[in-house]
Amino acid sequence: MAPRKLESVSLEPSEDPATFESKNVHQIYDAIATHFSSTRYKPWPIIATFLQNLPTGWVGFDSGTGNGKYLPLPADRPGAIWTIGMDRSRNLLEIARHAGGDDVVREVVWGNVLENAWRPGAFDYAISIATIHHLATYERRKLAVQRLIQAVDPNHGRILIYVWAIEQDELSKRKVVDQDEAVVADEKGKDVMVPWVLSKNLAAKPSEDSSPPEVFNRYYHMFAKGELGTLAKDAAVALGLSVGDPSAEEVGQGVEVVQDGWERSNYYVELRRWSK
Amino acid sequence: MVRLITHNLLACHVKNCNANNFPLEFQNVQLEIREAEFNPEFVKGFLPKIEWKALVDTARQLGDTSLPNEQPEMLDDDFLKNLHHVLLEIHVEEGSMVCPNCKHEYPISSGIPNMLLAEHEIA
Ligand SMILES: [Zn+2]
Repeated sequence: MAPRKLESVSLEPSEDPATFESKNVHQIYDAIATHFSSTRYKPWPIIATFLQNLPTGWVGFDSGTGNGKYLPLPADRPGAIWTIGMDRSRNLLEIARHAGGDDVVREVVWGNVLENAWRPGAFDYAISIATIHHLATYERRKLAVQRLIQAVDPNHGRILIYVWAIEQDELSKRKVVDQDEAVVADEKGKDVMVPWVLSKNLAAKPSEDSSPPEVFNRYYHMFAKGELGTLAKDAAVALGLSVGDPSAEEVGQGVEVVQDGWERSNYYVELRRWSK
Repeated sequence: MVRLITHNLLACHVKNCNANNFPLEFQNVQLEIREAEFNPEFVKGFLPKIEWKALVDTARQLGDTSLPNEQPEMLDDDFLKNLHHVLLEIHVEEGSMVCPNCKHEYPISSGIPNMLLAEHEIA
């Protein structure tokens, strides 16, 4: 199948971003939760490796946990670390609660990635996978990263963030931009609507008739190269933290970028907090 | 579900509610006890991050008096098992959590706490 060109979208200056996200992200995940979850079961390698390498006894949270597929990890040491899932979609949380099998119950919290529902610095780690790209402005995406930084321990807290990239690999069915648009998008990212064709059997309200399947359009901000790293640094600076290697500083608190890259149509960045 | 491990990490985040906003107080709770696999290394690793007084007081409110007022120096198996039970096996299925400072109520339904605020309450 040839890649589909995605419809671009831009937020009207008069439009409230929270209302826009509610209509174009949250309501849609609640409607497609069961079908969506049935297609999301394989953890991405970088995230699995990140969780595998955390020390036993660490507690973290997954901001935008979706169907909770990262909550049972690491597979080789179940129960060695404890990840609490948070999401804006109540219907996805019902699924996340039983991620990894019905015999174990996961901890999940109905919450907003822009709010601080936690004691400051309470967690050892935080992950946010395929979530921040649903926020409709740069300021809101930056605030979401600030919330992650605030939630983890100032001395050793670790953070992993994943978002969709404009640069999609050849296996992907998505095509985001035409060649002539590519230059602009390379710097700023691109706002698009991504269609979800709902399987009738897995709809929130299953229908028997022969009407065509329902299509839901979800809002995404697709990140340009370098944009996620810049966002993370801006978030640290907004909190009054240094950015960079702790060895360069005498005293203070900061955030170090541990790794920054592209994996299978996504950009990721790993951060570490330090104090001295 | 709200287990005490999660409760020990949550705080009220209503705008301008910055002091005495932890721990949230459970009200009208329905509890369920579910066995969880005991991992002493996990419990020991988490121990330094626990707000101890909040955990002990909350456990007592829910009817579990197995934890001492002060963290013991010797971490024997009995202590770790009691702590494991308090943190991971008591599930609050229904009820609410109320902020001791601003009295905001966070409802718990089918084991899932609702920490969402209205737009005007967000800091
Ligand atoms: Zn409060």
